[in-house]
Amino acid sequence: MTRYFRETSVALALAALLLVLAGFAPSFYQAQPLLSLAAREAPALVVTCGMALVLICRQIDVSLGSQLSVCSVAAGLLASLHWPLGLILPGSILLGAAFGALNGALVAGLGLPSIVVTLATMVTWREGLRWLRQGVWVELPEGAQWFGLSQTAGQWTLIGVALTLLALLALAMKHLAAGRFVYAVGSDAEAARLAGIGPQRVTFAVFVLAGALTGLAALMNVAQSPQVDPNSGTGLELKTIAAAVVGGVAISGGRGNLWGALAGLVLLACVGPALTHLRVEAYWEKATHGAVILLAVVADGWRGRRLKVS
Amino acid sequence: MKSPLKSILLRHETVLLLILTAEWWFFSAAGRNFGTLDNTFDIIRHSVEIGLLALAMTAVVLTGGIDLSVGSLLGLCAVLLGMFWRDAHLTMRVAAVLTLLAGALAGGFNAALITWLRLPPLIVTLGTFSLFRGLAEALTHGVDTFTGFPEAFLFLGQERWLGLPAQLPIFLLFAAGIWLLIHRTTFGRSFRALGFSAEGARYAGIPVERRLAMVYVLAGLTAALAAIVYTARLGQAKADAGTGYELLAITAVVLGGTSIFGGSGSVAGTLLGVAAIAVLNNGLVHTRQPREVAGMLTGLLLLAALSGSVLLKRLATVRQRWQSPPEATERTSS
Amino acid sequence: MMTPVFEFQTSRSKVQGSGAFHFLGWQFLAPNLNPAPNPNPNEPVTRRRLGAGLRLGLGEFSWLLSPLGPGRRRFGCLTLAGLTLLAGCNQNPDSTANNPSGKALRAGGAKKTTIALLPKSKGNAYFISCTKGAQRAARDLGIDLLFDGPTDPDPARQNEIVENWITLGVDAIAAACENKDGISSALRKARAKGIKVITYDADSLPSAREFFVNQATPQGIGYILMDEAARLCHTQGEFAVITGSLTAANQSEWRSYVLERRAALYPGMKMAALRPCDDLKDKAQSEATSLLAAYPNLKLFLSTTSLGVPGAAEAVKQAGKAGQVKVIGLGLPNENRRYVKEGVTDSVILWKTEDLGYLAVQAACALVQGTLKPGAKTFKAGALGEFQVQGDNIMLGKPFIFNKDNIDQFDF
Repeated sequence: MTRYFRETSVALALAALLLVLAGFAPSFYQAQPLLSLAAREAPALVVTCGMALVLICRQIDVSLGSQLSVCSVAAGLLASLHWPLGLILPGSILLGAAFGALNGALVAGLGLPSIVVTLATMVTWREGLRWLRQGVWVELPEGAQWFGLSQTAGQWTLIGVALTLLALLALAMKHLAAGRFVYAVGSDAEAARLAGIGPQRVTFAVFVLAGALTGLAALMNVAQSPQVDPNSGTGLELKTIAAAVVGGVAISGGRGNLWGALAGLVLLACVGPALTHLRVEAYWEKATHGAVILLAVVADGWRGRRLKVS
Repeated sequence: MKSPLKSILLRHETVLLLILTAEWWFFSAAGRNFGTLDNTFDIIRHSVEIGLLALAMTAVVLTGGIDLSVGSLLGLCAVLLGMFWRDAHLTMRVAAVLTLLAGALAGGFNAALITWLRLPPLIVTLGTFSLFRGLAEALTHGVDTFTGFPEAFLFLGQERWLGLPAQLPIFLLFAAGIWLLIHRTTFGRSFRALGFSAEGARYAGIPVERRLAMVYVLAGLTAALAAIVYTARLGQAKADAGTGYELLAITAVVLGGTSIFGGSGSVAGTLLGVAAIAVLNNGLVHTRQPREVAGMLTGLLLLAALSGSVLLKRLATVRQRWQSPPEATERTSS
Repeated sequence: MMTPVFEFQTSRSKVQGSGAFHFLGWQFLAPNLNPAPNPNPNEPVTRRRLGAGLRLGLGEFSWLLSPLGPGRRRFGCLTLAGLTLLAGCNQNPDSTANNPSGKALRAGGAKKTTIALLPKSKGNAYFISCTKGAQRAARDLGIDLLFDGPTDPDPARQNEIVENWITLGVDAIAAACENKDGISSALRKARAKGIKVITYDADSLPSAREFFVNQATPQGIGYILMDEAARLCHTQGEFAVITGSLTAANQSEWRSYVLERRAALYPGMKMAALRPCDDLKDKAQSEATSLLAAYPNLKLFLSTTSLGVPGAAEAVKQAGKAGQVKVIGLGLPNENRRYVKEGVTDSVILWKTEDLGYLAVQAACALVQGTLKPGAKTFKAGALGEFQVQGDNIMLGKPFIFNKDNIDQFDF
């Protein structure tokens, strides 16, 4: 119980919410809307994995939302030029990885604080995209939606890809040495360096991976509708950070796992629809969101304090 | 020993001052009506709220923390000010004092979570960032706007007093107060000590929790003061007031040379950072560049300033090593 | 032993003082006009104390010049630096502050009339299409069009841009006002400096502008939305409203007129829910999906934001309820063409946005040149012809309903 306390407590909170919904708003449990919502959140899940990795490595990346917007528009433009999926997919991933590499080079190479670097890159990409596109949407050609599959098949594909990726990364973090290195660097970079793990290399790799995951998520986002909105990544970074933190990933690094981040994301994603189904007025949504985040971290701190005191 | 001139030139604030002067010259030459007194006052008036937030943020960042909720708190305090004045029918002065108290209380809430429960400031303030904005929206049901404030109050934000913008004396007083607090009092020294090493500070006898609480309460109070100035300038109070201000404040603080990890920083640097960003934004309008360019250049400026500092330091270390090799490598040939 | 709470000392070293005094618990060191010789040659030079207050201000910046030596030399250099900075100012003293007619721009020769166009926010396809029309008008008239707007949602940004334009010295400002009261103070200032002000799309307070180019009254917009909704639902049923954000003033105004019309004419219809989508299409889709699930009797989505219509349409399509649940709203034809053709979206209501921009610029230019005066009953706007002027509102016309039959004729 104690080792995975945070993750289990989030899962319990999620279960509690689902129970409340089952009791007071059974309309929540319908197959098609839940499937649609899950497919909508699948790109966010992929980005949350990347963000969780960055957080475990004791860094932070607030530019992932802007990266998603830029990669979405790029993927959309390539699709409208009738490039095949086989080229758009690596293209989007490489573009995301390039952005991640820039962040990583500045953070790992020059030792700049990651919050500042990613804040600067976030603003730069966002404003640059606005300047270039001026808010115009990208129209995708026929058959580009759902990668040409039927709607249900497409939705299940997206959910499947996201979950598979999550499972693979979670296993890698647990069993591969590279995963261990991330935890090591996040816990204590100096100790990791003395142990022969190059913290700079690990940090750089984590940023590149987060960027690549964002590129993939951008393509998953683009595949869901016939148009690409250049503002699609707005607010994504805060959503994913909140999801990861609620799920037990520590901001101070070295702790947490991806399953917890999944639980956190599902919990936060259910807040909006739960309010709709419970007939609560829309203007309570932001306050509820903030309250959930605070409750999660307060519970964490409370337990930590009790342990310290005892 | 390094020459004192070089240590001055390599100092972050000097570089920032040079950048600011360069910006000023460039925009005076390229833009129309940029260097006029009217425009300077405009720059000042537009940047007072962010300046106030940046000053309070300097104290917070010095302790190694961060406060992402100041922008949302500005919105909440603006709404509260409107509610106290319009719905509770209090006089403007009483409403303003109550708003300051409310801001301090909200800051105290942040402080309680951070100090008492030992939670990381980033995540606590991320939560209150949503919470405060959400409360502001809930109080106004999202749509309510408070307008029609008395002329005497609006004077504060819109008119000139003794030839200077009316909010300037408030800002200067506040800046002087913060400067005194950070650079001349034992409190300020304890903030640096906290930022440098919280455990070390504890062993040195500094009451860590109380000092941390102090900075966050100060941040809350400042957000309330900024909300009052903002409402006076705009003439209306809405729930979305101050959106995005926290990021601008952090940008100004970091641009000014304060280390985000805590322990070192200066109020002068923050003021220069605020000035650099404000002049950049204003100058780009006067040279008829679109707003997006201002955002991009601010981001690039931040990166350049930080990278420049680090690269110059590394260059200095390399040169030093090259000029006077360390003793350990000198081996007597035997 | 209790250390004093406040201590006052120099940043470099304590002056070996000629005495100290306490005031309110602060310990001040008295001014010492004969500084003791610096005991430690490696320490930076101790500053001479002219008085506690004076040093406070210069103290933080004197480190810049400490290598140059103390006292007068440093003060002189600071003054020189200050003068240099000031010399950079006032290079272009042609502010319009003293010239109420605003003709200062044309004093130096054939300078073009400059009209500044302010949208509610940049990066919004609606305002992009207004701007296209505005640019066409600028070309027709041979004037300079300055287009800029806020990129961030803070309400104060519009004010800042307007104030910057006042100092820049434009001839006229055409503004779409996000915050009626807030921006009025800035627009009033512009008028006081001789700049002509008109508003378009969303009005400010009437005292702050000369004319309002009205595409349709908020009442007209609200009524037509409700009428169209009632027509499609056969005046019975529940509908859900998707708005951009709860704080958007014009959308809440339209909503209030929708509800007013409903109460007056269609008691059989009911607004089941209201959700904001933060002006994000994807969020509108999620909200619409939840609404479809939570309200099984929902018959129609009404969106007051152009982002909400394709979002709701996609949600309805994915739920397989295309045709059962209708989708209408304010939106641009290009963004909704696909859904309208597929029959998912029934009507998209808007007005000719390019004409709105064209008319706004024409009116602003006419004001500057004096051909449009208050009290006019009609206004001829270049290639578009004559428009009615009701009081101080220049009417563009009625909102237009785009549907399957006519959407192909439009491209914006």
